[in-house]
Amino acid sequence: MSAILAIEDLYKRFPIAGSRQVVQAINGVSLSIRPGETLGLVGESGSGKTTVGRCIVGLLEPSSGSIRFRDTDLARRNLHRRQLAGKIQFVFQEPNESLDPRMRIGETISEPLIPLKLDRERRQRKTAAALALVRLAPTLLDSYPSELSSGQQQRVGIARAMVTEPELVVLDEPTSALDPSARAEIIDLLRRIQAERNTAYLLISHDLSTVRFISHRVAVMYLGMIVEQGDTETVFNRPRHPYSSGLLSSVMLPHPHLAIESSVSLRGEIPSPINLPKGCFLASRCPFVIDRCKQEMPPRETVGPNHMVHCFRHADVAATIPASDTFNTFMREAERILGRSAPAGSLANIHLE
Amino acid sequence: MRGTLAAMNDPAVIGQGEASRTAPPLIEVRDLHITFPAGGDEPKEVLKGIDLSVSSGEIVGLVGESGAGKTTLARSILGMPPAPGRISAGEVFFEGRQILELSEPELRRLRGRRLSVVVPNPRAELNPLLTIGHQISSMAKIHLHVGNQEARKMALQMLHDVQIPDPERRMKAYPHELSGGMAQRVVIAMALICSPAFIISDDATSGLDVTVQAQVLALLARLAADNGSAMLFITRDVGITAHFCNRIAVLYSGEIMELAARDDMFLKPAHPYTLMLLAAFSHSPRLREAWSVPETGERQEPREGCRYANRCPLAQPVCRAQAPSFNEIEPGHFARCHFPVRPA
Repeated sequence: MSAILAIEDLYKRFPIAGSRQVVQAINGVSLSIRPGETLGLVGESGSGKTTVGRCIVGLLEPSSGSIRFRDTDLARRNLHRRQLAGKIQFVFQEPNESLDPRMRIGETISEPLIPLKLDRERRQRKTAAALALVRLAPTLLDSYPSELSSGQQQRVGIARAMVTEPELVVLDEPTSALDPSARAEIIDLLRRIQAERNTAYLLISHDLSTVRFISHRVAVMYLGMIVEQGDTETVFNRPRHPYSSGLLSSVMLPHPHLAIESSVSLRGEIPSPINLPKGCFLASRCPFVIDRCKQEMPPRETVGPNHMVHCFRHADVAATIPASDTFNTFMREAERILGRSAPAGSLANIHLE
Repeated sequence: MRGTLAAMNDPAVIGQGEASRTAPPLIEVRDLHITFPAGGDEPKEVLKGIDLSVSSGEIVGLVGESGAGKTTLARSILGMPPAPGRISAGEVFFEGRQILELSEPELRRLRGRRLSVVVPNPRAELNPLLTIGHQISSMAKIHLHVGNQEARKMALQMLHDVQIPDPERRMKAYPHELSGGMAQRVVIAMALICSPAFIISDDATSGLDVTVQAQVLALLARLAADNGSAMLFITRDVGITAHFCNRIAVLYSGEIMELAARDDMFLKPAHPYTLMLLAAFSHSPRLREAWSVPETGERQEPREGCRYANRCPLAQPVCRAQAPSFNEIEPGHFARCHFPVRPA
């Protein structure tokens, strides 16, 4: 299937006021998303994930490179709003900060419909449908954000994005501000909407286990570059970039005996994007480093179907780091521990005292 | 070489729970009640009789969702419940003294020196006008009455221990010059410089990246183990506690619903609320559905009986009529439930 969104060699630099230095936030990002697909974009803070998302929705203008949505070149910002007719939407991280506290829920949800110039009746119908899609009661239309729980607020954020029936939604950390149960509800909701409407998602997140379970493909970002990209199972089970492996080994699954093995332990923090080093950006933190890494940037190499990586030593990484199936093991364990006596079937399974 | 997480799970670092189970508790909370005035209405009880103890060398996890009372508990243990809340009943014993009966000056001598708290949002904790070297060393000067030179030396050693690169130079840095991960480590350095016997970490790692979080946790575990300190580790992230804590307490609506050693909690969870929480992390919609009730149901807390009854898929009429007691269902494993889930 052809891509709905194609980004080629995207760069974004921010000048620093009163200085000739620039922040090199994105350094040559290429990615594509197909209809109905979720691409997970992961990496530490400062890796440029959010900047990529903002360039896609037109909140930022790229310094160079192209962003094509179907046949529209989104780098030309003035075309953005009208021609897209709400086909690309954005869901923000903090629901209570991204909703206008003085607007009623109904107004907030219908706001993206204004540029579409629909008549009042159609607008109301679409608003009600969006509210129903996220399973909020119609009585909430006249409420204010402060009257809602944060899980409900994020549902409003999603309804506002979905009201224009977008083909692509950029989800920027949509669940990181939420409690575990509210987070799981929002993830189920997003999955259900995707199944019903074939919406494509760019899921920006540092919650790797969420990304693992709802993304079809994953792109790992480090200092404005995608260092590894591939099918989610492949990247999570057999990472070929030391950074991906180190990132994965930091995941703490709620099971005391399951940890993701890695020979990479990422020390220190992400370097400043102001004076980027020559060569591979990870060289200063990487246990696989060789002299060559400090001299030249590793090229993009294809290492398997749909699987690309920027690393001179990807073969050694693959050879040293054991293939891991930890996430699937975790799922099976969860079934065993939580499913065994789940009340959905019959109460006969439960041993009452 | 092994990953940071593997190092954290190392029995040498963390496995002191076995020994500590027989040791007398360092801190013991008994039947603690905190109430908040509610206008003309009946005052709202935010903590409803907490019993919890932590022994030296032990890390106890306290998990729960927002509003469960985690931070209220942390602050009340230090004798400062968040205003306008007040301690309506209960005792907190620390090294044999009932600290809720101590005078404010006595308490102040304990806090920061013997009892320490690490909070999230490190930038709000640090004074933007003072260098971090100044801020860390003044902790030692105030509480340990050491001189300038000695305090400076201790601060430098502490920055080294929390693995801040180039500590000499960082001593002169101001808080705004630090990244979030580094600021958090500075706050940890301030909390640990007096080698406190008891540390409360209140969601201290939630704002950090997973990689930095793993480093900070490994550091906390090592420093606590070196000092033989006890720690109460408060978090929303159940996953961390599975790898970091010896025992775990699950807080819901101001009550501890389940308390167990780490393996028992994760491999044999007994309270339906714990199972709901774990199901939320399982990424299985089917398991989630099995442990939650449809949202259309009554979510209001019942006035009588179990506080979880209206969200509980196993609730029976008795659950809404009679409050369950905190029963020991297996040695060291407690659940506040009429129908605890048992392993098959």
